[in-house]
Amino acid sequence: MQIYLPIAEMSVNAFLLSGIGFVVGWLSGLFGVGGGFLLTPVLMLIGIPSPVAVASGANQTLGASVSGLLAQARRGNVDWVMGSVLVVGGLLGSVAGVQLFAMLSRLGQVDAAVAIFYVVVLGIVGSLMVMESVRAIFRRRAAVPRRLHQHSWAHGLPFKLRFRKSRLYISVIPPLAVGFFIGVLSAVMGVGGGFMLVPAMIYILGMPTAVVIGTSLFQVVCVTASVTFLQALQVGGVDIVLTLLLLVGAVAGAQFGASMGARLRGEETRALLGLLVLGVAGSLLWNLLRLPENLFSMGPAW
Amino acid sequence: MRALLALLLTLGFALPAFAQPSPLVARLSSNRVFITTAFTGESLMVFGSTEEPLGPGGDEVVVVARGPSSPFVVRRKVQVLGLWLNGPSARFEDVPTFYAVAGTRPAWRILPEEVRRNLGLGLDALPLDRRSGARSPGFRAALLALKQEAGLWQEDRSTVEVAGSRLFNLLLPLPATVQPGSYRVEVLLVRSRRVVARENLGFTVERVGTAASINEVARERPALYAIVCILLAGLTGWLGSVLFRRS
Repeated sequence: MQIYLPIAEMSVNAFLLSGIGFVVGWLSGLFGVGGGFLLTPVLMLIGIPSPVAVASGANQTLGASVSGLLAQARRGNVDWVMGSVLVVGGLLGSVAGVQLFAMLSRLGQVDAAVAIFYVVVLGIVGSLMVMESVRAIFRRRAAVPRRLHQHSWAHGLPFKLRFRKSRLYISVIPPLAVGFFIGVLSAVMGVGGGFMLVPAMIYILGMPTAVVIGTSLFQVVCVTASVTFLQALQVGGVDIVLTLLLLVGAVAGAQFGASMGARLRGEETRALLGLLVLGVAGSLLWNLLRLPENLFSMGPAW
Repeated sequence: MRALLALLLTLGFALPAFAQPSPLVARLSSNRVFITTAFTGESLMVFGSTEEPLGPGGDEVVVVARGPSSPFVVRRKVQVLGLWLNGPSARFEDVPTFYAVAGTRPAWRILPEEVRRNLGLGLDALPLDRRSGARSPGFRAALLALKQEAGLWQEDRSTVEVAGSRLFNLLLPLPATVQPGSYRVEVLLVRSRRVVARENLGFTVERVGTAASINEVARERPALYAIVCILLAGLTGWLGSVLFRRS
């Protein structure tokens, strides 16, 4: 069934979109991530213009994360103080990111820039995931009791604040910086950024894993809402029909994925997710490197 | 649809008999094209009749359709550090978003070159003003190729069909990517390499229904649209998780 997308101004098969949403939702439920980093490249692959793919991807991630946030909040797994600091950084980052995005689209470099962002970020994250989980698989038997968290340079900065839920007394500068960075990525890549935020919270901020997921979802929901708002206002790429079609598939897929994921947790899952992330990065890199089918492209002038 | 067309065709054919004789009568099958949420493109029929017989040795008919114009940018990819990035670009003003020309025979065969160019019949006769950017003629050629590939520019894609030597019709396919706006259709009657009569027709392409309202709100009131998008996505996500919960 073909459906006309009012903002993308093109006709796409509705079942294809819901199907993509389902598969991405299933994978995200399986691995416990938002899935935006898979969704936006796939949308661009089927011919959705990248401004629409990015903006609607962020909008979709917002919807996909809301229920997770509510569930985590009910269980009391959200550090609202830490979350608020991250969100402040994230909002500033999303403003900066959307400005960067608007500038890139005026220059006509948005497609390549989004692809390069994906290759770099996913390449690094994927490699780290694979390396870390492989190391963990080998060392599993020789487990040593871990400290609550490692003290690093990040703990010596000024403007310290007490985060009771996370049992931390650290400067607000690292969480602000982490939030800002994720906000920029969210605006340019159309993702929630959970796949980077979670490791950053564990390894840089030293937060206990119990509150990491809930708090990261809080940041993801707020920042994707901000990205949706700014993208709609400045670039005009949010296609609500596209978003809703993807969401319908994604929320169904996520439930199936989550119930499957509960049976295969641990290092192997993270290694698989790392490989998937590397695969997406690799295919985008290949698209940048190979000789394009048509050297010329056209678009409406700004 | 078919019966209506036949009726219209006969009417068009019968008209000259009791109205004052006109060498050329032409109509469109529809004056409005609606872009709805189910829009996948549409075909319009240009049809009419002539007083004198059409065909080899007789009169010829040329139909040209033009959509609203807007500026376009053509970019060429260049290799930078092994990556293919957009490099030089050329900006063209007043590019028709839609253009189609067809005749009983190609326009260049039945009209003198100068007349054909003045009338803008044929893709090579389009006045594409390049206001800024790269000068290479490759950009103009690329614009032509890309527009034709998208089905938005058509030159002699099909010929004007003639029935009974006085009735003619042409199917004008509009792809799903047509822009809303007003479109002009000119039908020219050519006799011994001169344009002897013309009919000016037009149709509009409009967004209607949900697609139209969404687009309008997104353009006119982006802040409101953004808030609705945020709330709708949040609500759908929450509802979906309640409906599909498997535990």
